[in-house]
Amino acid sequence: MADNPTLGEWLSRRGVSRRAVLQYAAYVGALMALPPAASGALARGLAAARRQSVIWLSFQECTGCTESWTRSFSPTLENLIFDFISLDYHEALQAASGEAAENARLAAMAANKGKYIVVVDGAVSTKDGGVYSTIGGVANVDMLADTVKDALAVVAVGSCAAFGGIPSAKPNPTGAVAISQLVVDKPVVNISGCPPIAEAMAGTLAYLVAFGNLPELDHLGRPKAFFGETIHDRCYRRPFYERGLFAEGFDDEGARRGYCLYKVGCKGPVTYNSCATLKWNGGVSFPIQSGHGCLGCSEPDFWDQGGFYRPLSTSLPGLGPTLAGAAVAGVALGVGAAWLSRRHLKTFTAAPEKTEGDAS
Amino acid sequence: MTLLEFARGPALQVSLAVFIAGVLWRFLGALLLPWRLIPAEPRQGAPSPAVAALKGIIVKMWPLAPFQKAGLFTFLNGYIFHLGLAIVVLLFAPHILFIDGLIGLDWPGLPNNIVAMVGVVTAVSLVAALAHRLTSPVLRLISRPDDYASWALTFLPVASGLLASAHLGARYETLLALHVLSVCAFLVWFPFGRLMHAFLFAFSRGMTGIRMGQRGAAI
Amino acid sequence: MTAKTTASGVSYDAQGEMSEADRREAAMRGFVGEFGALAAAHMESCVRCGMCAHACHFYVATGNPEYTPINKLRPFEQAYHRHAGPFAPLYRLLGLAPRVTIQELEEWERLIFDACTLCGRCTLACPMGIDIAELIKEARHGLFKAGLIPDRLQLMDRTARAWGSPATPAEDFADIVREIGEANGVPMNVDLEKAEYLVTVAPAELTDHPKAVADAAKILNKIGASWTYHSEGFEASNIGFLNGDLELQRTMTRRLIDTAAKIGAHTLILPECGHAYGAARWEAARWYGGKLPVRIIHMSEFLQEVVNDRKVKLKPIGQSVSFHDPCQLVRRGGVTKAPRDVLERLGCELKELENHGTLAWCCGGGGGVVSNTRADPIRYKAFEIKRREVEAAGAERLVTACGQCRITLTLGAKHFKWDKKVESLLELVADNLVD
Repeated sequence: MADNPTLGEWLSRRGVSRRAVLQYAAYVGALMALPPAASGALARGLAAARRQSVIWLSFQECTGCTESWTRSFSPTLENLIFDFISLDYHEALQAASGEAAENARLAAMAANKGKYIVVVDGAVSTKDGGVYSTIGGVANVDMLADTVKDALAVVAVGSCAAFGGIPSAKPNPTGAVAISQLVVDKPVVNISGCPPIAEAMAGTLAYLVAFGNLPELDHLGRPKAFFGETIHDRCYRRPFYERGLFAEGFDDEGARRGYCLYKVGCKGPVTYNSCATLKWNGGVSFPIQSGHGCLGCSEPDFWDQGGFYRPLSTSLPGLGPTLAGAAVAGVALGVGAAWLSRRHLKTFTAAPEKTEGDAS
Repeated sequence: MTLLEFARGPALQVSLAVFIAGVLWRFLGALLLPWRLIPAEPRQGAPSPAVAALKGIIVKMWPLAPFQKAGLFTFLNGYIFHLGLAIVVLLFAPHILFIDGLIGLDWPGLPNNIVAMVGVVTAVSLVAALAHRLTSPVLRLISRPDDYASWALTFLPVASGLLASAHLGARYETLLALHVLSVCAFLVWFPFGRLMHAFLFAFSRGMTGIRMGQRGAAI
Repeated sequence: MTAKTTASGVSYDAQGEMSEADRREAAMRGFVGEFGALAAAHMESCVRCGMCAHACHFYVATGNPEYTPINKLRPFEQAYHRHAGPFAPLYRLLGLAPRVTIQELEEWERLIFDACTLCGRCTLACPMGIDIAELIKEARHGLFKAGLIPDRLQLMDRTARAWGSPATPAEDFADIVREIGEANGVPMNVDLEKAEYLVTVAPAELTDHPKAVADAAKILNKIGASWTYHSEGFEASNIGFLNGDLELQRTMTRRLIDTAAKIGAHTLILPECGHAYGAARWEAARWYGGKLPVRIIHMSEFLQEVVNDRKVKLKPIGQSVSFHDPCQLVRRGGVTKAPRDVLERLGCELKELENHGTLAWCCGGGGGVVSNTRADPIRYKAFEIKRREVEAAGAERLVTACGQCRITLTLGAKHFKWDKKVESLLELVADNLVD
């Protein structure tokens, strides 16, 4: 139907050749480390795809994920693809607001039952029935349950949606939780990061649109294509780590020479993301290249690992009082034990007494 | 809470507390017993007790000639893994940072590959020590469960550290967590077994140094 | 007193009529009486490295791992962990330090008395500085109280308690001394009321080497000293020091020192005996505090003073000599130089044994082992170590400064039909005085 063209038809009307689609598919395939044959399938899948309804829910978030995505300098083609996706609901980007916006969401859900994708950014408050984050009087937790009922899949974008993120940082007063904790009967893919890299979001969605299912995920539900390796393993400063050359601060000799940032708190070794390869802002730079250690922002609870400047190999803070108490306890136990033993030695070596039990 | 968070957080907290309390308990519990010194008049020209104690501690670092030969394996292999442990624990940058986080002291370290090499040598040396303990009739007779437990809890941090740095066997953060947990186990066991010799050796050597020193006898 | 055998087939001696339970209690009380910070520091420090085995002549000669020195302490250690260690209450509660059984004590009697001469070579070898020999000596206190010591040693103990010496009743001492003086043509002083030097003897000298009694007198007469033997304080080897009878050790020590004080002596000369030196010089302070009323020196130290001060002239011997270092005198006592000074003044060429001075191998008879005939088989095995070294050094004469060492080495030589003569330093000096 002319009104519901495939993506391939829609693109060719805009002057984009099939060859260009193939090239784009190859690019995404390489990005996601798909096998060579898959890029052909990806191209065919994209060309044959129908308009995909996407409902984007924003809960306890800062809109940084949207900002990252729209900051992408990806090829125009990508923008066209996402123009093609029917973004039927997005608080930041949509023109409508209020009841009109909510009605649009409900209509899209009904029209695309079982086929729409739900993208979520932000965590969900669960304490006290979720009153701490509501839209139009409806708690996030309820809106989420409602919206995902007939969804095809859920994409949790950003560390807040993926793991609870900053809202769930100690002491987590609103009872913020990750989307995957609430959505248990639909496929959920986590694209973590604070914010996530634009290409990670785009590539995953392209895969989803083309193939209709989720790419290979790691144990935390993240696409292995973008989250399969640590920053540390791809970091260009790794040789300095190995040679034991570190920046001790942010303006010392080591910092100026671009040495490893482990000592100033880099969490690269335990952080899975593509920052060291894809980088940010179209490959311009990433935190380590700009002289600041990785915050570990694509990992759960990254905010509560003891401090961004606390090296990974240190214990978590707060030991002082415990250890002081332990020292006092140790002295007391030692003095007590010696006192008990002295007493025991004295009575034991005194004149013999027939005692029942285990005296000697 | 991830395994790594648990390891770096509550696990380290509890094990360091047990370590400190246990070490003080054992130390004071032993040394506050009655001293029962025999106050014999020292030989003329004998060193002061403090000097004699120090001499005892230092002289006993190296076995006397006939014992070097007879106990060559124990002596050499013992030094290899002790020095190896010292180098790995104290001269690897992440470890130095760990200690710095606890006591505020910091010093330069060695490159990672050197530490890794020393770590491998240490691991092999520890295995050799166990093999010796299991095959020598003397050691088989006198060894107690404590000796084997202390060996295992010393070996595990070395092995898990090597595996972590080689990214072998599981995801890195898991290996790192297991390494930290193995150190926690070591710390908890330390005050209660043979490992305490790390602190007590000085007193045992010192006391014999004093007794022999006052007699003008060699230690 | 009969030789018994445990269920595990180990033979032991048991004296007295105590029940097994009472013996166990007595041993525990004896052990516990020793525990303090010193014992604790040692017993908390053993890392089971096994170095001590390499130092022990009994292990080296037989290859029997049971003779590993720290192994000899097992019941003592166990009692320590159960009763005095910092975690003792916890161990008792959790059953981690089981009670020492009577069978273990019976089995260990031979390890503590037959297979240890208290020589202290293990102490030298221990990287943790554990004074194993000292601890075994302390363990003997407990076994003595339990009546679990070798019969021979118990016999000597009874004699010493009754007579004041295992060799002779005190009332016979003066006569014996005078007889020796007459037989050797040396004027004797005995039971003088006042003297500057109180000279004492070892039982071996009253029985095996009586000439030594005269030799000491000869030298003292030569230097014109004011000296005496005394019936109230003559027995210096102090078997209480080695057999675990602490009360006897105290009695015998006090006799010597009180008598010395009584006669106003400034110096107490101990005979050529190792254990005499350990007991009087280093442990008398147990009962007297830091300052003893008299200076205590070993016969070899007396000889050193005499020859160094050139109070006597000596005939040069001009032969090569190896010196056997008595353990309690040299390694445990600190008197390494005195005998060598004397030998040098005697014009001897000193050919040191491969292990000499502090590192010397024990003769194998100390700590009561030579008196405990049950230990003969392993003592002879240990003797072979000494024999090999003496032969390797190749000196013409073999000299020592302890009567028990002399007896042990002579017995060993006889057993192996080795014609080496073992001589006394005192005798060497006395025989080579220039008139």
